[in-house]
Order: sequence, then C-alpha cells, then structure tokens
Amino acid sequence: MKFDPKEFVSIGGIDRREFLAWGGIMSAALLAACNSRGPKSAEKLLRYAERKNRVVERALFRHTSMDAVRPSAYDARNKLPSYFISRTVPVWDESVRGKWALEVSGLVANPMRLTLEDLQRLPRVSERVNHYCVEGWTAVETWTGCRFSDLAKLARVSPEAHYVDFQSFDDDYHESWDLESAMHRQTVVAYGLDGKMLDPAHGAPARVYSPVKLGYKNTKYLTKIVFMPKMNGGYWSDMGYEWYGGT
Amino acid sequence: MVGSGLRIFNAYPAFARRGELFCCYPFEHKPIPAWLTFGGWLGGARNWHFAMMWVLVVNGLVYLAFVYLHGEWRDLVPRKGDIRDSWQMVKFYAFKRKDHPHQGKHNALQKTAYFLLPVAGALAVATGIAIWKPVQLSLLTDLFGGYVWARYWHFVAMLVIVILSVIHVFMVFAVDPYSIPAMITGNYDERNSPEARNARPFYHLFPRRQSVQSPPEAT
Repeated sequence: MKFDPKEFVSIGGIDRREFLAWGGIMSAALLAACNSRGPKSAEKLLRYAERKNRVVERALFRHTSMDAVRPSAYDARNKLPSYFISRTVPVWDESVRGKWALEVSGLVANPMRLTLEDLQRLPRVSERVNHYCVEGWTAVETWTGCRFSDLAKLARVSPEAHYVDFQSFDDDYHESWDLESAMHRQTVVAYGLDGKMLDPAHGAPARVYSPVKLGYKNTKYLTKIVFMPKMNGGYWSDMGYEWYGGT
Repeated sequence: MVGSGLRIFNAYPAFARRGELFCCYPFEHKPIPAWLTFGGWLGGARNWHFAMMWVLVVNGLVYLAFVYLHGEWRDLVPRKGDIRDSWQMVKFYAFKRKDHPHQGKHNALQKTAYFLLPVAGALAVATGIAIWKPVQLSLLTDLFGGYVWARYWHFVAMLVIVILSVIHVFMVFAVDPYSIPAMITGNYDERNSPEARNARPFYHLFPRRQSVQSPPEAT
C-alpha cells in the first residue's frame, strides 16, 4: 500500500481549511479564557462546590490531628510577612480608645471583658507550629497565649453556639469560624511571638492563631470574640476565598 | 486545573518556607506568565481548582475502571523488554534505524507514556490532597516529605502530565492521524498504522529518500 501525503489533510472528514479555522477559533477561545475569571454563569456552580467541599472538610476534621513542624524547619523570624488591611499598621491608641480589652460575648452564660493582663493570667501555652498561607507559603513560628478552649470554658458557651466570629480593630476585618476548629488544642489567643510580646506588625495586642486554619482566618488586632448560632462570613471569605479555609 | 493551579502558584511562585531557601527549583520567585493562568485572581483560581478537582478525580476513576474492566490495562503495564523496545523507537525516530520496530497495539514509547500518565495523575491527586489538608491528613503530607515537598511534587506531577499530553497530541497528528477518527468511531485500519507506513513524525514532509519513504513490500 502506498501512502498518499494528500490524505493527511483530510482526516476524519475535516479538510485542512476547516482544521485551521477550528484550530483558530479554539486557540482564540483559549486565549480569551486566559487569566480570566471564567464565565459568569459558572459562579453559581463554584459556590455550590465550595459549600459541598465544606461538608467534606468538616467531616475530615479531627481534634486529635495536630500540626507538627518538621525537625529540619527553621523559624521564619523577621521573614514572617506583616499583613493588615488598614492603610497603616493598626495600633491601639490608649489615649483615644482607652485601655484595650478583649470582649467575649454572644451565646455565652458569662460574657467577659479581658485585659491583656487578664489574658496573661490564664494558663499559658506556647505552640511552635506552621503558618499556612492561602498563597501557598508556610512559615514556622512560636505563638504564646491562652488556649481558645480555656476562654470558651470560662465564658460558658451555650450549646446553641456553633460558630464564632473573631473581630478586630484593623478596619472592619473579621472572620467567622466553625466552633470545632476554634476548640482545637492548637488554637490560641496569642499575645506573644517568638518569646516576645506580639508587635503591632503581627497583630498586637492579641490575635487568634491556629495552624488548623489558613492565615486569613486568623484575625489579628482582636477586639471581640462573639459566639453565634450561624456563620458570619468574613473579610476575605466575603471576597471569594473559601469560608472554611481549613488545613 | 493546570491554569488555575498556575494562578494559585503565582500568589507565591516559590517553594521555600519563609526564612529558608529551596534546593530544587531554579525559578524561585519568578511568576508564571499570566496568559498561561486561569481564574483571574487567587480566590477565583482556588474556587475553580477546588471545584474541578472532583471532575478530575471522577474522570480518573472512570478511566481506571474502564481500563480494568476491559482488560486493556494489559496493554499498558510495563513488561520486560520495554526499555529496549523504547530505545529502538527512539533510534527509529532519530533515523538511526531504518524500519519501524514491530509493535502491538501501542509502540513501546507510547506504552511508557500511557502508563506514566495515570501514575502522574494519581500523584497529582494525592499530593493535591496532601497540600489541601496538611494538618488533618498529615500522614499523607509526611509521606511526600511535608508540605513544602508535597507542593513541589504536585507541581512536578503537573509538569509530567502537561509534557506527556503535549507530546501525545503532537504525535497523534504527526505520525498517526488515522487514529483520530478511530478514537470516536473505532474501525482503525491497520494498513494505515505507523508501523505499516514506517511513519516518523511528519515523514511525508521530509525530502524523499528511498530507504525512508518506501514501505518494505513496495521495494
């Protein structure tokens, strides 16, 4: 049998011209899609997928799963990025706002206002853990503070509370969590970083810190911890990052 | 998946932990060109990635079930002599060997590629889960050497899939265009197989040479 090169241009009933035309259309469509957000009509589907993923993620959650730093890992120290949404580093100005205190409220039998000294009097823990950023980087740091679960015990959380909102004085930044993640042993209300008091660049006077959530869920510059029956979104969650943001 | 993955990667186009260096990626902190990415921004790309991952997983499982139930996995598993046969195919494509090595359904290079592709796919899924849940599924993450390395292997698996796919599609058009309609309709005509035609990539475009052009039975 002799192979006729001309046959090559008519494969499957498509001649070369059609092939080039289709190729052109497909390439143009591909290029148009590039760096785009994808079709508007897909948004509904994506939100649906996020809600379903949340069910899977909450089913995977175990209080016994602990973050462990690899023995070879170094501390990030001054390489830990500083992040806030205000135009300048948010600093609590006592002369304007009075003494800083953390309000613990919502569905609790014992609402509290805790000063930094009150927080420091609670059982102190230090956790050397990974920071998992939504962007894909990690950083090892040691966070010192009190366990969130100890605070919750003191506040006597009502059984109707299934979510908790962490609010801040960094503009209107807040993020709400599922209560299970907040009650994880490695979730701390931190006032210390690497053996020093937390500095304003990293959320002073106190912030929530947990390796079981991505960085953006860990509200800095805390003002309020509010226990809620329903979720309350969050700064980045409302913008389009996953609400659950768990690791 | 690849486009949204690259957009996610661009949010931190490096592998090193903060305060460390990474040994094995030469382009640390150099972003991927935007036209190769999809999703528009990090959040959009993540939403696409975490929605479409289920399509990839289901697609992969259907493929594996099909290949298993039809017994076609037998054509793909590596066998003794595959490396030698692959080398013969390379020699043939490099004009170091005149006649197309004998092949069954697939030639040895194809077999290797079609075996590696699902392996890379499975690796992509497993490493993906490992960096999705590095705390809750830390055993899996540790298996790949921790979060940083799991993220690296996720990237490598993607590269393998992309490279194999590009070569595969190129070779379909270049050496075996007759298989394109057969992919949908079946009825592949063996007389047009690359072996029967002694076909190298785009060989009809090369200057005519007796030894290359004429099928053995025609001389």
